[in-house]
Amino acid sequence: MLKLFIADLKLQFRNRQSLFWSIAFPLIFTVIFGFFFGSGSMGTGTVAVVNDSTSKMATSMVDAFDKQDAFKVQTATSVDAARDSMKKGKAAGALIIPAHFGDTTPGAPTNVTILYDPGSIQLRAGLDGFVNAYLTEANYRVLKVSPVFGYTDERANASASFTYFDYVLIGLIGMALMNAAIQGVAISMSKYRDDKILKRITTTPLPGWKFLTAEVVSRLIVNLVQITLILWVGIGGFHASIGGNLWALYGLSLVGAILFQLIGFSVAAVAKNTDAAEGMSQAIAIPMMFLAGVFFPIDQLPKWLYSIVQYLPLAPLLRAMRSLALESGAISDNISSLMLVGVWIVVLLLFAIYRFRLTDE
Amino acid sequence: MEEVIRVENLTKRYGEFTAVHNISFAVKKGEIFGLLGENGAGKTTTLEIIEGLRKLTAGTVTVLGHDVKTDPTSIKSKIGVQLQSSAYFSYLTLKEMLELFASFYGKTVDAAALLHQVRLEEKAGAYVTQLSGGQRQRFSIMASLVNNPEIVFLDEPTTGLDPLARRNLWELIRTVRDQGKTVVLTTHYLEEAEILCDRVAIMEKGEMVALDKTGRLIAKAEFPYALTFEAQGDIPAALEKLSRYGQVHAGEKAGHHYRVLIKKEGDLGKVIDIMRPLKVEGLALRPASLEDVFIQLTGKAIDNGDREEERA
Repeated sequence: MLKLFIADLKLQFRNRQSLFWSIAFPLIFTVIFGFFFGSGSMGTGTVAVVNDSTSKMATSMVDAFDKQDAFKVQTATSVDAARDSMKKGKAAGALIIPAHFGDTTPGAPTNVTILYDPGSIQLRAGLDGFVNAYLTEANYRVLKVSPVFGYTDERANASASFTYFDYVLIGLIGMALMNAAIQGVAISMSKYRDDKILKRITTTPLPGWKFLTAEVVSRLIVNLVQITLILWVGIGGFHASIGGNLWALYGLSLVGAILFQLIGFSVAAVAKNTDAAEGMSQAIAIPMMFLAGVFFPIDQLPKWLYSIVQYLPLAPLLRAMRSLALESGAISDNISSLMLVGVWIVVLLLFAIYRFRLTDE
Repeated sequence: MEEVIRVENLTKRYGEFTAVHNISFAVKKGEIFGLLGENGAGKTTTLEIIEGLRKLTAGTVTVLGHDVKTDPTSIKSKIGVQLQSSAYFSYLTLKEMLELFASFYGKTVDAAALLHQVRLEEKAGAYVTQLSGGQRQRFSIMASLVNNPEIVFLDEPTTGLDPLARRNLWELIRTVRDQGKTVVLTTHYLEEAEILCDRVAIMEKGEMVALDKTGRLIAKAEFPYALTFEAQGDIPAALEKLSRYGQVHAGEKAGHHYRVLIKKEGDLGKVIDIMRPLKVEGLALRPASLEDVFIQLTGKAIDNGDREEERA
C-alpha cells in the first residue's frame, strides 16, 4: 500500500494542470491580495511631498511624514512635478509645504496644501488625519498648552487583531482546499473510470478500500503543501498575522479537505464521464467560492441569501478556521460550525458509500 | 487434460435483458481458448464473470478450483487480466506501473527483465501515452503477467493493430502459452482465432452456438470446403453446375470474384472437372475458413466496422 501511496503522490505532482489549479492558482490570489491589502504593501497608496521651506518645523513635519506607515512617501521637486506624478498614477495625493512655512518672520505662510485624487478616498482620509493631527500638536506647542480632552482607541474584540488580508488569507486556504479536493477527486476518479483504470484495479486482489485510502491520504499531503505555501507567502511576503492556533488551522483544514474530497467522490459517482464531472464540480465550487465567505463576510449579503449560504459546506468551515486562527477562539466557541461540518461529512460519506463504485457492478 | 475453468449453466441477466443464456464450457490447462462473437454476443460479460468482476445470475463458475461466488479474491491472485483498450495511469512510467501492479499482488518484480521480454526495455522510463498501439498492447499483456498467473485473460488484444503488430502479438501470446500458462482470449477477428486458438467457442446473442477445436469446427461444418476464383465475363452455365454441390457466393466487387462452399469431400473431384475448361484466375480449393463456419452458424458475417462498446 506504501507503493500505491507513493505512486499516487507522483501522479499528483506530475500532473501539471492539476498542480496549477491546486497550488499556483491560490498563490497568485494570495500575492494579488497581498499587494492590495497586505501590510508590507503600504496599504492605501503613495503621497508626493513637496517641501519648499527650509524652516525647522517644515523639516520635522517631513521627518514625521517619512516615519508613518499608512502610505508611501515620494519626494517631488515642485508642485508641477507632484501634479504630474498624480496624473501618471504614480501618486494618489500630495502634501505641499510652501516656501517660508514655519518661519518666524511676519507674513510667512501658515497653511500647507493637500492635493488629492477623488478616486482615493481612503488615502485622502489618512492624509487629512495625519496633517490635522500634526498641525494640532504644533499649534499646542506654539501656544504652550496641553490638550485637555482626548481619546484612546481600542478594537471591539481584543483578541481579534486581524486585517482584511489576514481574513482573506484564511479564505484563500479554504478556496484552495476546496478546488483541489472537489475537482481533483471528481475529475481523476471519472477519468480513471473512463480509462478503465478502476476496473483494472478490481481485477487484482487489492481491496478497493486500500486503493481509495491511498488516494485520499496522498491528496491530503498535497493539501498540506498548499496550506504551507499559502501561509508562507502570506506571512513571509505580506506580513499576515495568524495570531491564533496554527495547528488547529492545519487540523481543521484537513477535516475540510476530507469533506471536499467526499463532494468529489459524490460527483464522480453521479457523473457519466470526465467532462460531466468537470462541469459539475465547477458548478459546485465556483458559487461556493463567492457565497461562502472566501473574500468577504457573508453576513453582508441580503438576509434571505445569507440564511441559505451560511449552510454551504465551506461557510462553517471558514467560520471555524478564522475563529481558531485569527481570534484565538477555542473549539468550544465553534461547536455549531464544527457540527455543521460534521453533518456534511456524514451525509456525503453515506452518499458516496451508497453510490460510488470502482466498476459499474 | 486438467480443467482450469469450468462454467456450468451460466446465465447473466440485466433486468429484462439476458446477456448470457445458460452456457457451459470448460477450458483446459495450457491451451489458447478463444471466445468468438459479434459485439454484444456476451463474450466480455462471460469473461468478466469468470474473472470475478461481475456477479452471475445463475449457474456455477469454478476457476482453478475456486468458486467465483465465494472466493473471488483467491481467483484474482492467480489470474492475469488485460482489459479492452488501455487501462493505465497517464503519469507513471512503464517501470513504475509494473512495480505498482505487482505490489497489488504482494509481489516484487524485475521490471527491466519483464520489459525486455516484450522488447520495451528502452521504454522503461516512458509513459504509456508515448507508446505506439502495438507497444501499448505488448505492455498491456506484460502488465497482466506481473503476478505470474496460471490463466491469462486477454480481451480483444489485437483490435486496432496493423497486421505486423498483430503478428508480433500472436507470437507473444504463443510464448505465454509455451510458459505453461492457459490463455483465454476474445476476438472478433476470425482469422486470428483460426491461427492462434487451440479451441474456440462461438457466441451469438448470449448463447454458445459452437465449441470445438478450430480445425474440427471447420470439418464438422455443413460446408467444410471453399473454392475461390476470379472469372472474366459471365459463366452462368458453370455456376449452375457448381450450385449442385454447394453454395455459390458472388463477390460484391463487379461480380468477378466467386466463392463456392462445398458440402462433401466426395464432390471435390467433380467440382474440379467443372472448373477445368474455364479460363479463371487464382483458382484455389481449401478448407472453409472459420469465418465461413461463423456465417453458417449465425447466418451473418461478423462486423469489424465501427464497433460500439459491448453492452455492459
